Amino acid sequence: MPLHSRFEVRCWAFDVCFREMDLFRRNILYRMIGLIVGGIFIYAGVTKVMDPIGFARDIDNYHMLPWPLSVRLAFYLPWLEVFSGVAVLCGLFYRGGLLILNALISIFIIASIVAKARGLDITCGCFGHASKYLSFAWHLVLDFILLAAVAFLWVSDRRTASGALAPQVSRGAEKEL
Amino acid sequence: MKAGAIRQALILITLALLPALGQAVHFRNKVPWQSRLLASEVVSVEQARSWGDSVMWVDARPAQEFESDHVPGAILLNEDSWNELLPQFLGQWSPDNRVVVYCSAQSCNAAAEVARRLREEAHLRDNEGKNCVFVLEGGWEEWLKTRK
Repeated sequence: MPLHSRFEVRCWAFDVCFREMDLFRRNILYRMIGLIVGGIFIYAGVTKVMDPIGFARDIDNYHMLPWPLSVRLAFYLPWLEVFSGVAVLCGLFYRGGLLILNALISIFIIASIVAKARGLDITCGCFGHASKYLSFAWHLVLDFILLAAVAFLWVSDRRTASGALAPQVSRGAEKEL
Repeated sequence: MKAGAIRQALILITLALLPALGQAVHFRNKVPWQSRLLASEVVSVEQARSWGDSVMWVDARPAQEFESDHVPGAILLNEDSWNELLPQFLGQWSPDNRVVVYCSAQSCNAAAEVARRLREEAHLRDNEGKNCVFVLEGGWEEWLKTRK
């Protein structure tokens, strides 16, 4: 094999290697953000599961839903958060979990802004009663950070529709090769 | 891909129903399903007035609103200054008193929250161990309508 051909092969091998490392790093980043987001929602859901009546009062404070609906949602929404958080954390039903979390945070942000605009005293945050001492501005900042993280995972995800945990590195490398 | 995400979301939505239903069945007798307050925890202005001097009125609104006007003899006790105001309230309360908590009916649930905390945290009960803390139906606005 001529010298310049061997050099080209070596360059190509390094190139593939660096790209794989880059994909691997990115994959690690997605997994880390997924772990944090999933963990946050599991924690948020569990705190509310433990006090459904308190969460029902928090929902009722928004003055948007009648009490009978608020109390029923208070029993359901925390479990939905937990299941979606676990989905994002484990990678099973990953995109479905992200879709639900996106919807939940978006609805929560809109409801918070509308309630504040109506002059209501809102003490409910993502963590139910546990975050009642946070200011409204801090609530919004945290919610937007969460929304950005979930949206980032949604946009950057390259998984198949089945949501299987197929490693992105090998799929990306396959394309490269 | 979108359809897959929606299908997965629907599966999660359905799965979350199962523990939620289980928990709701478990709590079925402890939850006020139809209204935030149980009927036994609410009192009308007329009924509260009929109790005469045994009533302690508690104003759960912000201090500025309390200072501008309040039910005669009412004591300020709101969540903003709960730790400071609660000892003053407890100093005046006795088990012979019935406590009627009110706030502005238009914009808050403060009265319900203060009443709950008085029951659960301050453990207010009458001499027979029954509930003695009530929320005024219609709040401050209702009291204003019937002010003589």
